[in-house]
Amino acid sequence: MSQLDILLVLLRVAFGAFVPLCFIAALVWLERRGAAFFQDRAGPNRCNIFGFRAAGLVQNLADAVKLIFKEDVIPGHSRHKFYFVLAPLIVFVCALVSFAVVPFADALVIEGKQYLMQGIPMDLGILWFLAITGFAVYGIILAGWSSHNKYGVLGGLRASAQVISYEIPMGLALVSLLAVYGTVNLGEMVHFQGRLLFGFIPMWGVVLQPLGAIIFIVAAFAETNRTPFDLAEGESEIVAGFHIEYSSMKFALFFMGEYVAMFVSSSLIVTLFFGGYQIPWLATETLVANARPVALLLLVVIPIAAALFSGWIRKNNKSHYDRPKDPRVFEAKVYIGLIWMMVIVLEAVLAGYWLYAAGGAADRILVVLLQIATFLVKTFMMCFVYVWVRWTLPRFRYDQLQKLGWKMLLPLALLNIFITSAVVVALS
Amino acid sequence: MFAEWLYFGLAALSVLGAIGLILFRHPMNGAMSFVVTLISLAGMYALLSAKLMFAVQLIVYAGAIMSLIVFIIMFLNIQESDLPEEKGRGLYLVGGVVVIAPIAMFLYKIVRTLPGGDTAIVGNGFGEVRNVGMILFKSWLLPFEIISVLLLVALIGAVVVAGKREVGK
Repeated sequence: MSQLDILLVLLRVAFGAFVPLCFIAALVWLERRGAAFFQDRAGPNRCNIFGFRAAGLVQNLADAVKLIFKEDVIPGHSRHKFYFVLAPLIVFVCALVSFAVVPFADALVIEGKQYLMQGIPMDLGILWFLAITGFAVYGIILAGWSSHNKYGVLGGLRASAQVISYEIPMGLALVSLLAVYGTVNLGEMVHFQGRLLFGFIPMWGVVLQPLGAIIFIVAAFAETNRTPFDLAEGESEIVAGFHIEYSSMKFALFFMGEYVAMFVSSSLIVTLFFGGYQIPWLATETLVANARPVALLLLVVIPIAAALFSGWIRKNNKSHYDRPKDPRVFEAKVYIGLIWMMVIVLEAVLAGYWLYAAGGAADRILVVLLQIATFLVKTFMMCFVYVWVRWTLPRFRYDQLQKLGWKMLLPLALLNIFITSAVVVALS
Repeated sequence: MFAEWLYFGLAALSVLGAIGLILFRHPMNGAMSFVVTLISLAGMYALLSAKLMFAVQLIVYAGAIMSLIVFIIMFLNIQESDLPEEKGRGLYLVGGVVVIAPIAMFLYKIVRTLPGGDTAIVGNGFGEVRNVGMILFKSWLLPFEIISVLLLVALIGAVVVAGKREVGK
């Protein structure tokens, strides 16, 4: 292995491990501020370090400190302490590992060698995701059962029954998708979605498989145990469900596992149905061929976007009553300064590329970075949909949930398979 | 070299898991140690470059079937006090050893006479999704279809049976 190989292995593994972890902070913030937005209030925005609140992101730090320093209680009446400790680990690790096969950019070609841009360069794709999410159920079952608590067992029962029954419509929705794409490899699926339908519509999964997309998204919501399917932890009836006896970092592992699972399933929804890392109408080869104009466009667009964003900050980040030497105006000034520093660095890098490095490997790297950014933006938007749904819809009743899964989604998914396969056979 | 060590590790784990399945008294412990066996078997398939088998082993056996079994153990909340007392375990053990001994000797002889040889990956995408699919849908289409219809009937049957109670109301 050359040095480049080793470097790229490290970079990819680091991306696969750290991006979901960083997204935990972003998503917790998104959830809280999103909830506040939907309920017409401000949300957590007071926590600060020397007056810097970072739009409420500092609240996450306070939460982390609180969780780390809480007493770690293991109930004395529980006779299976090993499983009690194991359960949160299973939930968290399964959520994290399932991201490993999602491609976050097109294969990077350097010196004639291809580097697949995913945590583990494996072509199992969607099968890996199904295999790993199947294991997350163990964590929930063991947590509920080893807590030796009625609410815990009830929550565990609900969660596992729900996950097991929603795996079937999810798998069936995937079957029709596989018939369209003709592969289980997520990278090839995204390649397929880079083409154009009738010459002007991007061939995204959601265009080709609208019904499959809806079924898959609903099932993905149920798999991550989020509202409207969060009755595994329904506070009003079974307090907190399977993690009722957990405290401190063990609870935090469940909590973080939930957000990692949310990130992974949104990234998977994006990969399967919304074109993955593809920028609409600009396939990888087009981008590589036109790397110079794209870089020039970025050189122009980035300062404009930064100017708009800093204007927005200046307008909104100030006290709403008279204060001598408003500290928030000072805060906003610092943020704006930071933004412009970042813009200067980006511009310098782009200008350096434009002057010295254009053509060859640098083009490829630029395109990969663009695609990573696209992928993250799309995934973040899908995560926002998760938050949006959570704070808009009420919780299902348990029998309604099972009825929806078995009597609506399952027949619909079967119907979708028949229609899809008929169309695929007719067209080929 | 690394693959060899991995193989020995997985083999030891799968045997230990199987032993645990028999020896643990609590059903949950037994089930979980069986999960260890299934996962290490999946690892062996991966070592043999049978990728599809690896995925199917994880999805179907370790993921679906065992989680159903664990679910049921939790649902019935079986404790050790619910299990029947086993008297005369030693006697059964001796009887079992006597019965199994000839078979074990036979197996030992077979393993001894196996020719040693280098193993190499067959290549040509052996064990990959596409190739397994080709074989399944070309040479074994009819049995495959019959089995899939059987499973579909079971699935729909379960839904119908579960839905019937409401009609009676």
